Amino acid sequence: MSTSPSDPATGVAALYFDGRSARAHAVTLNVSDGVLHVESDDVSRCEPLGALRVSEPMGDAARLISFADGAHLEVRDHAALAHLLAATGHRDAAVVRWAFEPRMVVIMLSALLLSVWLIMQYGLPWAARATAPLVPDSAMTALSERTLEWLDQALTRPTTLPSARQQALRQTLSSVASIEGQPIPHTLLFRSGGQLGANAFALPDGTLIVTDELVALAGADAPVLAVLTHELGHVHERHGVRMLLQGSATALFMAWYLGDVSSLLAGAPAALVQAGYSRDMEREADDFAVKLLRARGQSAELLAGMLEKLAAAHGEGQASRSGPMGWLSSHPDTAERIARLRDKDFIIH
Amino acid sequence: MDNPFEHATADAAGGNPFAAVAPALQREPITFSGRGGEYFGIWIVNLALTLLTLGIYSAWAKVRRLQYFYRHTTLGGSAFDYHGDPRAILKGRVIGFMLLLAYNVSFQFSIIAGIVVAVALAAVMPVLLMRSLRFRARYSSWRGLRFGFDGGTGGAYSVFLKWPIFSVLTLYLLGPMWHQRMKAYQFNHARFGSAHFTIDAPVGAYYRIYGAAIAVVLLGMATIGALLAALADGSPAVFGLAPLLFILLLLFVQPYLSARLQNLVWNHMQLGSHRFESAVSARRLYLIMLTNLIGVVVTLGLFLPFATIRLARYRLQSVTMLCAGPLDDFIAGQAQDAAATGEEAADLFDVDIAL
Repeated sequence: MSTSPSDPATGVAALYFDGRSARAHAVTLNVSDGVLHVESDDVSRCEPLGALRVSEPMGDAARLISFADGAHLEVRDHAALAHLLAATGHRDAAVVRWAFEPRMVVIMLSALLLSVWLIMQYGLPWAARATAPLVPDSAMTALSERTLEWLDQALTRPTTLPSARQQALRQTLSSVASIEGQPIPHTLLFRSGGQLGANAFALPDGTLIVTDELVALAGADAPVLAVLTHELGHVHERHGVRMLLQGSATALFMAWYLGDVSSLLAGAPAALVQAGYSRDMEREADDFAVKLLRARGQSAELLAGMLEKLAAAHGEGQASRSGPMGWLSSHPDTAERIARLRDKDFIIH
Repeated sequence: MDNPFEHATADAAGGNPFAAVAPALQREPITFSGRGGEYFGIWIVNLALTLLTLGIYSAWAKVRRLQYFYRHTTLGGSAFDYHGDPRAILKGRVIGFMLLLAYNVSFQFSIIAGIVVAVALAAVMPVLLMRSLRFRARYSSWRGLRFGFDGGTGGAYSVFLKWPIFSVLTLYLLGPMWHQRMKAYQFNHARFGSAHFTIDAPVGAYYRIYGAAIAVVLLGMATIGALLAALADGSPAVFGLAPLLFILLLLFVQPYLSARLQNLVWNHMQLGSHRFESAVSARRLYLIMLTNLIGVVVTLGLFLPFATIRLARYRLQSVTMLCAGPLDDFIAGQAQDAAATGEEAADLFDVDIAL
């Protein structure tokens, strides 16, 4: 631009556009008594500062001073304009100043990472807990059916457990599965675990799946029952739906950020199985299991012993193969949980 | 520094009435002065505030982002500007979000509900797209003159509903023709001040570009197939590489399409009697996009603002305006005179949906 460097004595150099034609007028700007004076050979305009709007600073880009009637000034002499603005007491919005201060950019970046962490750690779980009861039963049934279908297709095989044994386990579970006098609706299914090994799952609609391998590992019925009461805890506290809601919220955000929402719900079944439960949810389910076991006059040791057996059965190497929702990899702190269950002063909160 | 208006005014003042008959075209390059480091600050503040306000700030963020890009883009020494009202954009975003949510959720309830919502969306979308074009144009300016878009509802339904259906029904054989009609709708109804844009890109040119792209994809797929078959030699594990190679192939074709289409559109565009020239090189664009992708992946996204600036700079600076007369001669259009009163009404009816 040929606007010569501004001379403080004559004012700030700028280009004036009247808003009706594209013609540029080279002008000088001065401020006196709260009024901006725009002067050149063919333009002479005075405007009170209150009627003007100054554009946000954006690096080297020209700053624009707009008049109410559509006319505007384009200023590229940033130093002189800053001087003029300072004299009028103009201050840019804080948000704009932040964007160009390295210190604030670093703070913003940290704040961003911190808030992402806070949302993931506390915000989403809280929101999921609040909204989980609102999810209609029909949706949970549909989701569970799809998940079971997916499991049967991808991972599990039909059970080889004798039907008498199945029936016995079902009957015992029914006698246990009630809280405060209310029965907890559930369906117990048996599957051969295949690569999942000794394992048990809970689907949101109350479908419990236990593998033949787990029944064999337990030896007796009571430890199987202990595991199943823990899974009932997941159903009762709606952990599956909560994890799914949290996952969906994250996916929705990512989809919005990356600009593709279409593929969102397609992955729900796999996501549900792969999501795993949080440490708090495992504790809640443990507490729930102990409550049911004690109501039946049994001890928390049943669950603790079974956890130990499962940990040993899967071992280090197998844990990763058992799938994240399997008993081990989603139960990373198994040792801690066993210790907690065996604590003499174990009190359910 | 060279002053374009002084040249222009001098020519005009020369007062040769016959100059208009065979105007000497003056070249006015578009320049872009945005810098990645600077834009990074805007980007991070926008992102942080958007997250903290659960997305509400995104409308304000969009305005600031567009203003950064517009004001760093200059033609004839003057910057472009963007005047969109964040509140109108927020409204548009809420509508857009609800539509997408309705679309995604409805199929979960029943097929009928899904179809009803899909049909309703198809019926509303062309109007929303038309309004979005109008909004973007109306709130863009250069030297104080606003752009404008006068495309009607009929045209919108034709290019955003009829032609997509045609091209799907013909297995995208009519796809390039759809693209041509869409660009024609977009630019033949666009204005700057009182001057009208026109575009005369022939449909054959679109077919040539898409044809070349498809030929490259087919050839590439055949090569990948042959290569893998030769390498596999009985072990099918090698075929796991196929998706990766296919993505690399698409990464190779996309810059080609984008470069050729930009050149085609701008080289056939006129604003009044001014013309444009766009000289994007597919190879340069490919290098920029590839290095951008690597940068974004390696920095877990932090390179994104730098990548955006690099791409914008190359694409914008490839365009030159071939001026048939002085740029000072543009004057405001009819609609703009009513802008002072019409603006609130526009805010109420124009929504900007990010597409």
